[in-house]
Amino acid sequence: MILRIAVILFFCTQIFAQNIKPTNGVSENYQPIFAFTNANIIISPNTKLENATLLIKGNRIIAVDTNLEIPVGSIVTNLDGDYIYPSFIDLYSSYGVEKATKAAYNYRPQYQTSKSGPYHWNEAVHPEISASSNFKTNEKTAKEYLSNGFGTVLTHNKDGILRGTGTLVSLSQKSDSENMLLTDGASFYSFNKGVSRQKNPSSLMGSIALIRQSFLDAEWYSQQTNQKNLSYEAINEQEKLPKIFSITNELDYNRIFKIADEFELDFIFKGNGKEFLVINDLIDISFPVIIPLSFPDSYDVSNPEATDWISLEQLKNWESAPFNPGILATNNIQFCITSDGLKNSKDFLKKLRLAVKKGLSHVDALASLTTTPASIMGIEDKLGTLNQGMLANFIIASDNIFERGTIYENWTLGVQNVISEKQLFDIRGHYTFNSKEFNNKKIIIEGNKSKPKTTFPFLDTNSILTYLKGDNVTIYTNDGNFRSTGKLIKDKIIGRYQNKEGEYFNFSLQLDSLLQVKKKVEKKEDINHTPPVNWLPNKSFGFNELPKVKNIYFKNATIWTNEKEGILINSDLIIANGKIIAVASFLDPNEFFTDNLFETIDATDLHLTSGIIDEHSHIAISRGVNEGSQAVSAEVRIGDVINPNDHNIYRQLAGGTVASQLLHGSANPIGGQSAIIKLRWGSSAEKMKIKNSDGFIKFALGENVKQSNWGSFENERFPQTRMGVEQVFYDAFYRAKSYKKSWKKYNNLSLKEKRKAIPPREDLELNALVEILNSQRFITCHSYVQSEINMLMHVADSMNFTVNTFTHILEGYKVADKMREHGAGGSTFSDWWAYKFEVNEAIPYNATLLHNAGVVTAINSDDAEMGRRLNQEAAKAIKYGGTTEEEAWKMVTLNPAKLLHLDSHMGSIKEGKDADIVLWSSNPLSVYSRVIQTYVDGKLMFDLERDRKLRKRDLKERMRIIKLMSEDKNSNQKNKPKKIKEKLYHCDTEYDE
Amino acid sequence: MMNKFILTLIVILITINTMAQKPILFIGGIAHIGNGEVIENSAISIKEGSFDIVADANLIRIDPTAFDTIIKLYGKHIYPSFIVPNTTLGITEIDAVRASRDFNEIGGVNPNIRSLIAYNSDSKITKTIRTNGVLIAQVTPRGGLVSGQSSIMFLEGNNWEDAALKVDDGIHINWPNSYYTTGWWAEPGETKENKKYSKKIYELNRLFSKAKSYYSSSEIIDLKMESMRGLFNGSKNLYIHANSANEIRDAIEFFENFKVNNLVIVGGEDALKVSNILVEKNIPVILNRVHRLPKSQDSPVDEPYIQAKKLQDKGILFCLSYEGDMEAMGARNIAFTAGTTIAYGLKYEKAVQSITLNTAKILGIDHLVGSIQSNKNATFFISSGDALDMRSNNVEKAYINGKEINLNNHQKELFNKYK
Repeated sequence: MILRIAVILFFCTQIFAQNIKPTNGVSENYQPIFAFTNANIIISPNTKLENATLLIKGNRIIAVDTNLEIPVGSIVTNLDGDYIYPSFIDLYSSYGVEKATKAAYNYRPQYQTSKSGPYHWNEAVHPEISASSNFKTNEKTAKEYLSNGFGTVLTHNKDGILRGTGTLVSLSQKSDSENMLLTDGASFYSFNKGVSRQKNPSSLMGSIALIRQSFLDAEWYSQQTNQKNLSYEAINEQEKLPKIFSITNELDYNRIFKIADEFELDFIFKGNGKEFLVINDLIDISFPVIIPLSFPDSYDVSNPEATDWISLEQLKNWESAPFNPGILATNNIQFCITSDGLKNSKDFLKKLRLAVKKGLSHVDALASLTTTPASIMGIEDKLGTLNQGMLANFIIASDNIFERGTIYENWTLGVQNVISEKQLFDIRGHYTFNSKEFNNKKIIIEGNKSKPKTTFPFLDTNSILTYLKGDNVTIYTNDGNFRSTGKLIKDKIIGRYQNKEGEYFNFSLQLDSLLQVKKKVEKKEDINHTPPVNWLPNKSFGFNELPKVKNIYFKNATIWTNEKEGILINSDLIIANGKIIAVASFLDPNEFFTDNLFETIDATDLHLTSGIIDEHSHIAISRGVNEGSQAVSAEVRIGDVINPNDHNIYRQLAGGTVASQLLHGSANPIGGQSAIIKLRWGSSAEKMKIKNSDGFIKFALGENVKQSNWGSFENERFPQTRMGVEQVFYDAFYRAKSYKKSWKKYNNLSLKEKRKAIPPREDLELNALVEILNSQRFITCHSYVQSEINMLMHVADSMNFTVNTFTHILEGYKVADKMREHGAGGSTFSDWWAYKFEVNEAIPYNATLLHNAGVVTAINSDDAEMGRRLNQEAAKAIKYGGTTEEEAWKMVTLNPAKLLHLDSHMGSIKEGKDADIVLWSSNPLSVYSRVIQTYVDGKLMFDLERDRKLRKRDLKERMRIIKLMSEDKNSNQKNKPKKIKEKLYHCDTEYDE
Repeated sequence: MMNKFILTLIVILITINTMAQKPILFIGGIAHIGNGEVIENSAISIKEGSFDIVADANLIRIDPTAFDTIIKLYGKHIYPSFIVPNTTLGITEIDAVRASRDFNEIGGVNPNIRSLIAYNSDSKITKTIRTNGVLIAQVTPRGGLVSGQSSIMFLEGNNWEDAALKVDDGIHINWPNSYYTTGWWAEPGETKENKKYSKKIYELNRLFSKAKSYYSSSEIIDLKMESMRGLFNGSKNLYIHANSANEIRDAIEFFENFKVNNLVIVGGEDALKVSNILVEKNIPVILNRVHRLPKSQDSPVDEPYIQAKKLQDKGILFCLSYEGDMEAMGARNIAFTAGTTIAYGLKYEKAVQSITLNTAKILGIDHLVGSIQSNKNATFFISSGDALDMRSNNVEKAYINGKEINLNNHQKELFNKYK
């Protein structure tokens, strides 16, 4: 005991209030000790003291324990069994920070930054902004946080890509200086450019490239002395700070992780509440996550037709969302909870309790709001628990806060904030009423303790709400004939009332007996703690589990080999381990498999082909297909933004397509890097990529790159004519050449010389162009008219590289001989024309003419709809110009494989090649043919029969969740049905943020 | 003087020659009549611009001297003209060139607007459409609440006046959407309930009340009201562009109340859901393009392909259209969309019917065209192979009003130049 008091004294001397600011008046520096007794104190998630006492002085906790001696002079509050928790910490807030505002719209595009000073060239990159410099305590917002139990927030300017730093502040009424606990607590990042009106970046991949280049530039900046830039300095200064990266979509986790990996950074994620969809990724990445509790409201499902607008994906996410916090905890992922993102901040505790009902333990819930955020911020010695010496930030609640407790008070830095007044008095009971007017009348006060209701059987049979504030009671009747004010004194209520004539009378209410309060039997809610199972992907037609590699013996099929064997009639094909094992007119499967470990498919009257490859596709891309904000955007990569959950993948599998080149759009002469994927429905973005495939890049010519059809005001970006387009290419490649040279020079220096030299600045854009010069990256160029096609071949010839593919290439037939000579292939539309001036001379005979001239020719889609029936488009080459069936078929299989450098293992039915196989009901070029099965790597990715079953399963799942939703009581405000519109990209799709 | 004489002489000669023209006989072709029937070995003659004999060559005796020309078609196919309804063909040339777009007038309510007079009979696009068997099109304005009036055109003629088959055949209304999409097309947000739905319907209600009142009592000429007269006396069709089930239901009820009888649903994505009403009230549907994406991510992948077969089974009168992106130049593919419906269950001749006689019936021109039947206008073509399959669609001859048309087009010319 002596020791304990000594410790208390020690703390007292530590905190002696001293004011920096001059006081207007006399100083009020006496700090009493507050003692909170008889409380259930939850010191930390795992430590709870019953019937304990908490002592605070100034802004600190000086002691906490059971059986504490209370120092003389303490202000004592008997909490009578109430609960004390450490108050919560929210790491994702913009409290007290001025909101960034968007500049007025200008019809003229803005390509340059409008900011003055030595800052980053892009307005969305402002790491130099510190929230601390414009922080101002805001009582109103503070109140919202305090009522939800928060005492401390990390606040920042939620705007831009490199957003700057956030400051950790207390929510007390003290001065801004006292409230600020950490000036620069963490730096913040996102992919959204926010209020910036500068064109770049206009896509997600543009944001990613911008972040990567900024980090590279900051590193380079520190090695040079020629220029000053406050943004790069800020990036370098923030190296040691926690870095919080806010995601928009759950697919962003892997995108950010790739950046983290590249620059050896650790991030803390700010999530979107759908972490349950990518839980395995999060386990692998093992960065902490800050999650919101913005569970979707239930939809109004009363009208069945309107309910059809709600996708099964939305329904499934609605069901799973409240399980999200529990799922993270179960998987041992370090996470914090933020109140950010709630439509109504008052819902916070309600949503938190829902998460608890859905499997989040009290311990994990409290940790995610206290100790985890404290340790992430490195302030676990000050905040997060109620140990001695910590800041006096705690909440007092009527009961367990994760179940039903009402917050009475939230103390911050030792200052009391009343949230809701505790009703100390219980006036409910049977009374006898006496006044001059009435004698010995019986009345009853019943109802809720803090909201009692009075019944006057002698005046009015209704029970009337009675106002109760402390021990002041206001009783009245609805007709206004009796209105009274009284005070509870022991077992009496004494006061005055006014009758309808306006006369005042004194009255007394004598308590006869206490009300027998019926203990409500708490209904045990039937709660299922098992989270719903995710499909792959978690939407209609998603797989319950991924298809496995099959060993199959196809018997008696018509096989379109695309090899010198041509079309084999009545022949057999064997696939195993994802590869084609054998193809011949007769095969004995027992020679290839032991123990009948294979499946036999009788393909009599059916046709087998290799899968369709779409050379030009824009499906499965997240948030923008064009980074058209600059004439050259070689630094952006479609590979960063693959969306593996796009349902067009499944639709195209149903049309026999197995692989696609996902291309950047055609908004600028040098676009971005492509991704070449197989349509592995159900797999992640990374797994869809075809391993070791060559790198490709999109170039473009003509109307789109010169912005001809962008409206009258888009005439500021160079180039605006075909003449300018040529110069963009020469300029880019000459820049790339000198860049290559300067690196070579630098790399040839000795170690000692290198130390003295400033290295060249690593430029992601020029890196990609150098790869082209080195024949390590290959061009697919959007093109229409002969003049520009010829031009680009001249540029390439002069730079010693080859244009791999001209895509669209609608006037290719006019320069087919030159293309063949140059070595370029062509990937064209079957019959599109008349949509732009430059396609006036596009003719459907193009494919045939190119093919006849000896150019490797493919037919592509550039369209999600056409991508699911490219077999029909290939057949048009027969109609227009008379290509043979065999050659026409190659235009959507072997030839695109050649153009994409995949033909060594794809594009034909040949021993050793990938088992990307399609089974057709008849000749695949016939309009009457249908896909029966599609295999990718020997896995059955589409199957007509399974498709029928999935439809039934989907409907059953839909009805199951609709039933749950109809019964849902957790959500009182019902959502109107909403539907996500299909997001379809073409080359011309300009912006997407 | 001399020149004038020669000119007159030529004119007379030509006239005489035409007048003296005897019928042409097509023998041996596989005739797809358009009404669901097929004659494998047909004898078809045309006389004075119309079909005369239409018979099974095995069953009749033919006098060869009665014909000027006899064309043997053994193994080849004869089809009535494919008809593309609901298209901007001829009133747009190059989508991206504003000066060439003549299909969308400003103002929102334009019942008086007529596509007819903007029709370019020498459109380069049209020439490439005919070569695939499409010889008739319903040229239709777009946009607004009431887009205007369509006219049905033969795809041959020196000017719109000569090319017209049926002038101002109907008025097109875009029934308000009960749902709308937020955001913009590259970055669409969620689709929400359209709060202005009833307001828009109120607007329509005012328009039709006024038009009905005008129909029975007006003394002065009001262009908009005058153009709507035909809806009440039955001389014009009302084309209601609507897709959702509730919109179709609302629209039908709305116009029934105004006693507008010749209703046609255009689009009809949800037609199956309201099939009972369509059957009961005998309302036909011009379907959306078959080659489209399913309605939503939850929809079966073959939903658009299988719709025709299902409507056929329900007994609903429908035809195919090609409305949507690049609809003018893409109209030449309408036959292949009919082909796709066959892969998904429709019988071949029924698929042919869905782009010939059904279309003619719905547009109200089936007494003139739509099938190969005696006395009907001889607008038809001959394909060396199955015209619904890309592989074999090869139009060798085509006739409009009994006259053979030139099947050349600038794409063929370029092909011949560069091949």
